[in-house]
Amino acid sequence: MKALQVIKYGDIKDALAFNEVSLPTIEANDVLIEVKAAAINPIDKGIILGNLQALLPLPLPCTSAYDVSGIVVEKGNEVSHFEVGDMVYSRVPQEQMGTLAEFVAVTSVAVSKKPGNISFEEAAGIPLAGLTAMQSLEASGLKKNDRVLIHAGSGGVGSLAIQYAKAQGAYVYTTTSTSNLAWVKELGADRVIDYKTEDYKTIAKDVDIVFDTLGQNHSLEAFEVVKQGGIVTSVVGPLDEATAKMFGMTDYKLPEELAKASRDKGAEYKFIFMHPNGSHLNEMKTMIEDEKIKPIIDKVYTFSESIEAFTHLASGRAKGKIIVKMC
Amino acid sequence: MHLRPEAEEFLYSISKEKTLHKGEVLIRQGQVVKKTFFVTAGCLRSYCIDKNGKEHTLLFAIKDWWISDYIAIHTDELATLTVECLSESKVIEFNAKELDGIHTRFPEFESYQRHNLERHVVSLHKRILNQLQLSAAERYDLFLKQYPDIERHTRNYHIASFLGITQESLSRIRAEKAKK
Repeated sequence: MKALQVIKYGDIKDALAFNEVSLPTIEANDVLIEVKAAAINPIDKGIILGNLQALLPLPLPCTSAYDVSGIVVEKGNEVSHFEVGDMVYSRVPQEQMGTLAEFVAVTSVAVSKKPGNISFEEAAGIPLAGLTAMQSLEASGLKKNDRVLIHAGSGGVGSLAIQYAKAQGAYVYTTTSTSNLAWVKELGADRVIDYKTEDYKTIAKDVDIVFDTLGQNHSLEAFEVVKQGGIVTSVVGPLDEATAKMFGMTDYKLPEELAKASRDKGAEYKFIFMHPNGSHLNEMKTMIEDEKIKPIIDKVYTFSESIEAFTHLASGRAKGKIIVKMC
Repeated sequence: MHLRPEAEEFLYSISKEKTLHKGEVLIRQGQVVKKTFFVTAGCLRSYCIDKNGKEHTLLFAIKDWWISDYIAIHTDELATLTVECLSESKVIEFNAKELDGIHTRFPEFESYQRHNLERHVVSLHKRILNQLQLSAAERYDLFLKQYPDIERHTRNYHIASFLGITQESLSRIRAEKAKK
């Protein structure tokens, strides 16, 4: 079968190649999915550039991408919740990475039936970003009437996080640039802050939760806007100590500035490492079918245009998800 | 319909009562179809999935309706439809070929089947004509008359796709109806 593979780390055009690879084999708990659409995410770009080699050492060549929607064409002996012919979507686990291919084998616990009211292309854009948004806000203890600041409302994660938080009854502040104000407002955010003309720190004050999707100075600044006893959840900032331990970094300490800000505010800092989860995707399926969450697509590329899709991702100008369709 | 005891006995012999859970799939697109189902309680839906992966509802089956993929049964093709259970339901399952054979043994059954078929054709023709000439709001009104209790079993996108409109349009129609 054809697959888009990372053949070496570095510049996108040199690092990627279309290769003929063997069909994946399935284990007892796996399903084999005929890929109809895949989505690409910033982590895929990070892998290609070699920025994640320490955290995710991958033998090259390896097939790229984690998000998929498609049709189950084969299932393992112990798979009971899916049948051949089911339309599904998934964020595949690290060890099964490789959705930019004609087929991908996925453990069935990471798979859900896809929402029936959206296309394969729309569904492919949901798993990684949707699970990140959902698991981060759940881990933050988000509840009705909470005031939450979500950074980068026009991003893949931010746009889904806004909708998820609104569905839970929260009051949502979000930041974005001038050109994105209108459509981000349409996602349901209560106060869209134009970071080019406004200082979000003077608008979103004493919020219950800051969801940091930008990192760098935003992780620390979050403690200026979070309320006493609130929570700062990040998916891109420094690891927290519990997550670092999970990766075997037993001596790891939270950067002192961040630790002090957290202590001074009595506010917790959490790093969220998204985990593949079919049940969570099934919950999201219901929310999508009930129109509480709508997928936002920036552009759809054909499989043969996949490398261009990565170049577009690298430009950082995407408004919503970048999708690759297989046919 | 009055049936002779032998006919009743034959019907029992070729049928099976089934209780279905919400979400259970009776026929899956792409499979061979041999069964047809008579609904005695609950609600089922048949739908096709287009090449983009979106569902389009063909039919809702409530009490006293039949449901299957009749295209597949009568053309010996693989199923183009999926039939799923929308709420806890009870059906009587028949093997379609065996049920077909009942006419030669018990002619009184033929008029019953013909009547069913006529009712089905009328319903399909009305559905096509309504789709051609009525507004979405009018089609929704008729839908509610045809299936008065169905909204407690269905999701909005099931109804929207049955009416051939978007979920946004359905929400707008409902909001306008609520204002009146």
